[in-house]
Amino acid sequence: MNIIVCIKQVPDVDDIKWTKENNLDRNNMLSKINPYDEYALNAAIKIKNKFKDTNIVAVSMGPKQAQDVLSYALAKGADRAILLSDKAFVGSDTLATSKILSGAIKKYCSDFNLILMGQMAIDGDTQQVPLSIAQLLKIPEVINVSEIHNADKNMAIVSQKADSSINIFEIKTPCLLALKYEVEQNYIPKIDDYIRAQNIPIEVYNLQDIGLNKDEVGVIGSPTMVYRAYRPEIVKDTKEIKEDYAKRILDFLLKVDKK
Amino acid sequence: MKKITVYGELNLENNQINDVTFELISKAKKLAVEAKKLKQDINYQIEAVFIASYLVDDEIKKTYKSGADRVVLIKDSVFDIFYSTIYANAFLEYYKNNPADVILFPATLKGRSVAPRVTAQLDTGLVADCTEAEFIIKNEEILFAPTRPTFGSELMATILSKKAPFCATIRPNIFKKEFIYSDNGEFVEYIPASYYEERIKLVRSILDKNENTVDFSNANVVLCGGYGLYGDKSDEYFIKLKKLSKITDSKFGATRKVVDFNLVDSKYQIGQTGSNVEAKLYIAFGVSGAIQHIQGMKNSKTIVAINTDENAEIFKYSDYKIVADAKKVIDDLLNYFNIK
Repeated sequence: MNIIVCIKQVPDVDDIKWTKENNLDRNNMLSKINPYDEYALNAAIKIKNKFKDTNIVAVSMGPKQAQDVLSYALAKGADRAILLSDKAFVGSDTLATSKILSGAIKKYCSDFNLILMGQMAIDGDTQQVPLSIAQLLKIPEVINVSEIHNADKNMAIVSQKADSSINIFEIKTPCLLALKYEVEQNYIPKIDDYIRAQNIPIEVYNLQDIGLNKDEVGVIGSPTMVYRAYRPEIVKDTKEIKEDYAKRILDFLLKVDKK
Repeated sequence: MKKITVYGELNLENNQINDVTFELISKAKKLAVEAKKLKQDINYQIEAVFIASYLVDDEIKKTYKSGADRVVLIKDSVFDIFYSTIYANAFLEYYKNNPADVILFPATLKGRSVAPRVTAQLDTGLVADCTEAEFIIKNEEILFAPTRPTFGSELMATILSKKAPFCATIRPNIFKKEFIYSDNGEFVEYIPASYYEERIKLVRSILDKNENTVDFSNANVVLCGGYGLYGDKSDEYFIKLKKLSKITDSKFGATRKVVDFNLVDSKYQIGQTGSNVEAKLYIAFGVSGAIQHIQGMKNSKTIVAINTDENAEIFKYSDYKIVADAKKVIDDLLNYFNIK
C-alpha cells in the first residue's frame, strides 16, 4: 500500500528568537521535524513493518533547508521524499499551503491509500491544513487520532479522542488521518539508516512543476494576511516570598475557595 | 443588510445547544452593535445555523435570547451521526443561496472539522482559534478583524481576510453568553439533498473513563512538578508531590520535559501538547517555564512558582515568586502533614 506522510520543518520552540519586527528569526534558530508529523511517520513505519510492500512517501513544503527533515524521514524508513520548494510559496497561509500539498499529491503520488500527518504544527497550530487537504482531494478524514488499530490497502480502523469519549471509526481508503497523540514508539535512526537514505535522492518540485498559478500560492494566493502582530505584555505584579516558604504555600492551599 | 452567520453546535445525545454556540451568538450581536457605531448605515443580521435532525422550541428561544435574529435548521435524520463531509456539504448547500459576510465556527473538534472544509470549498480564508474579534475600518471599508494567539501565546496576531466571507474559528470559554435579547425571531427549516457518507463509519463511541487521562478542567488547585525536581533518586520528588496533592485535594501535573524523561506518565502533562489548566491556585515546583507549558497554565488565577534560578521564565507569569529548591519546600510541606 502507499502512504503519504506530510512533514513540516519547524523551529525548535525551545529556542525561539524574534526579530525586531516580531517575525521569527528563522536564520538563528534550530529546526526540527514537527513532533506531530513524527507521530504520523512512526505510525506509517509501523504499518510498513506489517505490510512489507508498503511505500512511504514523505512530502514537505519549505525552503531548501527542509531537505534535512526529509533526509531524517528517509533514514527512519520512508521510501521516497518530495520537497516542494519555490520562492513563490513564501507566505502561504493554510489554504495556499493545502493547495500546494494537495496539488503535488495529485501530480506525484495520486495512487495513495493513506495520508498521515500531524494534526498541527507547533509553530502555527491552526489544525486547518489536514481538513483543507482532505476537502481539496475529496477524501474522508479522521482527526484527533489516538490509535490506529489496523490499516491496510482498503480500510483503516482508528480511535479518535474526543472531549469525553473515544470514537472508533472504520474508514475506507483513500483517506486522511491526522495524529495528535503519540501512537507508536519513536524510532531514532542510526548511522546505517542515514547511509542507506543517502542513496535515495530527494525529489524537488517548484510551482511550475506542480502546475499551479502564481496567484494561487504565497502571499498573493493567501486569502488571509496578518494585519498586526504584537507580543502581549506580561502585566503580572510578581511578589517575592522571602521566608517561611512552606508555611506560606500552606496558607495558599488552605485559602482556596473549593466549591 | 449584512449578515454574520454562527455555525451552531449541538450535543448529539440530547440535541441541546452547546454553550460555545451561545457565546459566539452573543459575541456576534455585540460585533453588530460595534459595527453600527463605526458606520451608521451598516446593519448586521445575526443568523444561527444548526445541522440536526430536530431542534426543540426551548432551544430555539434560547438562541434568539442569546442574540440571534434568525435561526436556521438544516434538517435530516442523517445528521444524528456527525461526519465532517456530510455536515460540510449540507452547510455549503444551504450557504449557496444564503451567503453571509462573516461566518463564526466554534473551535471544537467538530467545528474544526467542518470549518476548513467549508472555507477550502469557498476558496476563502479561515483564521484559527481566535480569542478576540472586532470590526475595523480600512480604506473606508468595514473589515472583520479576529485576533489569535500564536507560538504558545508569545505573539498575538490580528488577521484580515482579503475576500468574503470572513471566517474564523473561536475558542470556547472566551466570550460571555448573554440571554438578554428578545425571545423571538425568524425560524427557517431547510431540507437539504441527502448526503450519505459511505466511506466512513462510526463503529462505536465509548465514554472515556479517563484511566489514561487526568481531568484538569475543574481543578481548583494544581501542583505541577518540573525538571527541577529531578534528583539523585530520579522520580522520588514526583512521587512526593503526588502524595502532597492527594493530602491537599489538589491535582498533580507535570511538564513535558519530565514526561519525556519518563519520570511521570504523559496523562499528567500540562501545556500545549498536554492538558490546559485554569486553576484557582497553580503552584509550580521546579518548573522553568517553557512557552508551551506557560500556554497551558497561564490563565490560572493565582500562580506561585518555586525555582532555584531567580531569572526563570516562570516567574514572569507568577503572582508569587519563591527562589528556593522546590525539593526542600516539598519536604517541608510534607513535614507539616507528618509524612516522609
